[in-house]
Amino acid sequence: MSLLKPFSKLPDLNTANILLVENEEQFQQNLADTLVEETAVTVNVRLAKSLPLPMENDESRPRIDLVVFIINLTSDKSFESAKASLKYLDPGYFLGKVCFVATNARHASVRTGCLDALRQLAALLHCPLLFAEDQSPEGATSSARRLLTILKVASGLVPNTTALYLSSLTRCTMPPDIDQPSFD
Amino acid sequence: MATQLNLSDSDSSDLSDQSVFTRRSNRSLRIAEQERRKKEEEDPFVLALKYFSEVEAGTPATGNDELENNLVRVEKVAFSRGLSPEAISVMLDFAMSLRMGSSPCARVLKCLLPASVVPQEAVVRAIVWLTVRKLPISTQVLFMKWVLTVFDMIDAKDKLRAIYGFIFSFVTDENLCPFICHLLYLLTRKENVRVFRVRKLLEQQSKLGRQPYLLYLLSLYKVFCPELVTLSIPSRMKSGFKNHISPWKSALIAVQKRNDMQVASSISLAFAVRDKTASRKRKHAHLDLPSLNPVTIKEPQAAQSSSRKLVPMQQIQSFAQLLQNMHRIELPAQMGSLLGSSLALQYLDCVQDESALLRLNFWLGYTLHEEFLFCSDGGANKNPEEALQFLNRLLSVQHFLQEGFNSSDAFMYKFLNVWDGSLLRPQILGLLSNIPVIPSSQIKTLLFDPLMQLFFTSSLFFKCGLIECLNHMLLKWLTWHSAYALEDDLDISLNSHTSINITLSGFKDSVMELVHFVGRLASVGLQLEDCHSLLLSFILDFYETVCDTFLKFGLPLVVMPPPGVFYPAFFAADPVSVDRLAFIMHRYKVNLTSAKRQEKVTEQGFHISRQTFREFNRYQVFLVNCLWNSNMCYPEADVRLSDELLAKSGVPQFSTRFDLIHHPAFVSYALDFHHKCWPGRKDTDLNSIKQSKPWNWYLEYLFTQGFDGLKDFVQNSINQRVMMAGDGCDNVTQSQKLGSAPHIKQPLLS
Amino acid sequence: MDNSAKHLLQRLVRRIPASMLKSTLDKWERLTAEKRKSLDFTQSKWIITQELVALCEKSELTVKHITELEMIYITENPNQGMWHTFQLVEPEDDAHSVELMQFKEQFKSHLRELQRNVSVKIKKHTDQAVWIRVAWGDGLSSPNHLKATYVVLYLQTPYVFVNALSSKHKPLLLQALTLSTRHQQIKAANLSGQKLTALRDLLMRQYQQVFPTKYPSPLAESDQSISKLRVEKVQAEASANRHRMAGETFGDGMLPALQSAVFKLETKFKDPTNEAMTQRDEPFICSVKFSSSNLLESLRHCASSGIASTPVTPMLSSIPLKGRNYFVITDNVLTA
Repeated sequence: MSLLKPFSKLPDLNTANILLVENEEQFQQNLADTLVEETAVTVNVRLAKSLPLPMENDESRPRIDLVVFIINLTSDKSFESAKASLKYLDPGYFLGKVCFVATNARHASVRTGCLDALRQLAALLHCPLLFAEDQSPEGATSSARRLLTILKVASGLVPNTTALYLSSLTRCTMPPDIDQPSFD
Repeated sequence: MATQLNLSDSDSSDLSDQSVFTRRSNRSLRIAEQERRKKEEEDPFVLALKYFSEVEAGTPATGNDELENNLVRVEKVAFSRGLSPEAISVMLDFAMSLRMGSSPCARVLKCLLPASVVPQEAVVRAIVWLTVRKLPISTQVLFMKWVLTVFDMIDAKDKLRAIYGFIFSFVTDENLCPFICHLLYLLTRKENVRVFRVRKLLEQQSKLGRQPYLLYLLSLYKVFCPELVTLSIPSRMKSGFKNHISPWKSALIAVQKRNDMQVASSISLAFAVRDKTASRKRKHAHLDLPSLNPVTIKEPQAAQSSSRKLVPMQQIQSFAQLLQNMHRIELPAQMGSLLGSSLALQYLDCVQDESALLRLNFWLGYTLHEEFLFCSDGGANKNPEEALQFLNRLLSVQHFLQEGFNSSDAFMYKFLNVWDGSLLRPQILGLLSNIPVIPSSQIKTLLFDPLMQLFFTSSLFFKCGLIECLNHMLLKWLTWHSAYALEDDLDISLNSHTSINITLSGFKDSVMELVHFVGRLASVGLQLEDCHSLLLSFILDFYETVCDTFLKFGLPLVVMPPPGVFYPAFFAADPVSVDRLAFIMHRYKVNLTSAKRQEKVTEQGFHISRQTFREFNRYQVFLVNCLWNSNMCYPEADVRLSDELLAKSGVPQFSTRFDLIHHPAFVSYALDFHHKCWPGRKDTDLNSIKQSKPWNWYLEYLFTQGFDGLKDFVQNSINQRVMMAGDGCDNVTQSQKLGSAPHIKQPLLS
Repeated sequence: MDNSAKHLLQRLVRRIPASMLKSTLDKWERLTAEKRKSLDFTQSKWIITQELVALCEKSELTVKHITELEMIYITENPNQGMWHTFQLVEPEDDAHSVELMQFKEQFKSHLRELQRNVSVKIKKHTDQAVWIRVAWGDGLSSPNHLKATYVVLYLQTPYVFVNALSSKHKPLLLQALTLSTRHQQIKAANLSGQKLTALRDLLMRQYQQVFPTKYPSPLAESDQSISKLRVEKVQAEASANRHRMAGETFGDGMLPALQSAVFKLETKFKDPTNEAMTQRDEPFICSVKFSSSNLLESLRHCASSGIASTPVTPMLSSIPLKGRNYFVITDNVLTA
């Protein structure tokens, strides 16, 4: 069992490395294609189905600045796999270098508890939880842009701020149960 | 059978015209009438109808060639042109009375395609027949499906409503129940909701299980009388009424197309609702608003219907008509169609019909919920154009009514939690800005938490958009306040249709929360985006609203911008930002002084905290010291670096670097001025502008460049005499008015 | 035209969707082009039926002609109803030389020997398939054309597909088939489904298969575009492995659209936490049904995406391998 560590390797100049973990291996490819188009910094994308990562290419792998878990809310397996993968991350990652992306949140077949469970998990780990429209190209582009915003901060490319600071602003909170909000 | 139609003494077309024609004694008309009658007597279709109205009960149907021939004739007409109201009446009566047994019944029902409208008497009579004779169950169901299909073509609903209780009694019939519930759903009005009916439905539910059609009807009852229905309705109800594959739909559309009838629109009304409720079977155009184009009704029918009490909304074509019929408007079955008609909206706005709004809210809530929150395909095959148009329409309705709908607000609170920040962004931000005041206890969880996550992870343009949206929201809240606040009562209504009130102090808390929230977003946003001037501009827009809350909107509340906004705006390299900041500070001052004055006049008035004055004074002193006194490094300043450190930087006269001459935003103006003032001089010495006369000229020059904010600020915050004479009269008096402010030093003008 | 023919025609027209009615009638060729033109296909189905009955009456068509129309429709749209598969075994020496004419004669005579009053119609389809329509009658009554059995077979292959066969007629039909194709035995092949074409493709292996090799596929030319340079699949090898194994079991490309697979378990109940059940000696009987619009495609996806473990368990891989979708699983052995 190999633990992925945030600070075990040296960063490269003007480079950001992102690891996209998705059990279904579908949306990550779209995101990756958009992410590498960034020109201001060199973005390297690593795609994985789950953690831990294989030992063979451990040496050649650059330092991972941001780990993104992509979770399809219509599939229980997707959530379970992400949850199981979490334990292969060094605790240092949870200081602002982990992020969850939920897809299909507006799908009718999402089980009622699933979204809440994911929120709970993200809130517990102090991680941001983004929602993505993975079905449309515009949705993929916009999600990639948002990830890039976080990635730049997480890899230390934005002056005046740190990953921990940003995550304290964006981390997930549990929303109230709002069906018909009553103000009494 | 009360009114058995009899065609023996008058022909079919006479029926509808009876009321008009019998009263008239116009000869020429009568002659024309007779001629027409003669002609029609030979028409096989008329003969066929006559057969059906006259045929004796008990005539055998099997092997009856006469029946067969006549039926084929009627069918031919029905499938090509549709049937006239009278023909429908005759045929329906024939079928439902089972005069020739039940075998031709289904076939007759299948050809009942109305050409224009369906007379409601015929429907009422048929419903009565349902109980009298034993119709086969399949035929009963077929009849109910037919009624639901042509519901919007029924010329009036008053008599149907009158037998509401009678129709309700069919609920116990297991086979008919789904259809009866749907029909009741379309007919129900507030006065129909009774305890015993609720009880019956619940009883039925315990018998049949939680059927969606029962839940749908119950939820409508709950909308009308929440106190009677204690049942909790699940928020994610699947389609309530099934999309019955009606045998008439395609034929009806074909008939309408062929006839090129204007009623087509009312058909689409009827189908739209079925499409809506059956989200799983929907294929296209589910977000189309049912249209409310007026049906062209023939004169006699209009006369007929005006003798009845209600006028359908569809018939109202002008504002004048609306005014005339205001008291007896019949709302359409699909409340969604109201959104498409400005007349209907006028009606909604002035009548304040609670049940209409309830129904509209109910419809809107479910539509938004099904289409955007929990769509069956996750939005994959969604036509984005459709959603866009729907939301745009909703937005324009909200602008028209100048308020939002409860249901769309509730939808927004939920949607923000799963929004990706880019899907339909302009529309969603538009709807967001229409959200009414939220009590400060809930504002954080409902609004701020989701927005904060979106704001900090999204692009610069989203940040700008959100700040602008929040600015609009604040403006609307303040406008509501000035419009709805009662003089003697501090309670203000959140929304003209709801009874939720909020106290003035509650309202102030909410506004304060909002302003503080934007302040937080703005400070950190500027920091993350490296003080981007576009973002700064939107933020200053927001503070232009905030600084005037007291004078423009009469809200006794002044909130100063946080240092994270003030200093980036001051140190900005573009003169526009500095100028706007000066303008905002000027407005703050005007607001604060007049608030102070009012505080003195009215004893019990409000109290603006000393903290606010202190903050204001600190900013004011900083501005004056930097811009005017060329003394950035005064002892009480917020931004302070040790002199040694500054000296090390090698910048000469570092303390003067942000005065009006050396400020990076103005230095180009200073150079230009210098060049114009002393054209001959070779070496520029900007400090020479500081002499009394050139200084005043320089100020004049700046003011002519359009820096009105700066002008207001200088003219009001710095004593005129200082400027004019430059002999150093202090402006302490002014700033002392605003609470115990630190001493503002005299301008260092030589 | 008698009443039964009329009735048959009415039933048939009701079955044919309105959009296909015209083309089907065109292929029939029993009505002249003029008569066909006189039909207005925009009318309601009911009226069309009436007019069609009148036309047929005028042309003096009989039940025989109507059954032709039915056969045309069924041949064109075979993916209806439930098709069951049978397998002919133990061929005689001359089984390979049976040709159509001989088969036709033999089949008809064998069937008539077994049952009087059967109406048999045999036609060869373009794709070598022999279509047989059998309308059964009792000893006394005339054949019931409303419930006809359809049989599809390919001469010189062991598979026979049967639709709408009652258990009463099953032994008769099977015997006639065995004899006329010169075989000694016929048995159920444990494969059934709605789509005849899918069953056929599966049994005749008419889909793209992959055969296991020692060496994985040749190296693909490396793509040097920027996205390929900077995007790397960390677990690419494992994923490629899964895809290869899924392909070896289920093949590449389009798969026959099988809709379901049923496993009937008759095994001992094994659960250490539930002693009462575990100690029972009788097997625990239950049935597991997988269904999908395209089952094989779904199973392949499960294997290649890692939802199902690879290598694919023999339970699932024997569906394409053995061409069956009904299995009875007893302890230790996988038998029918």
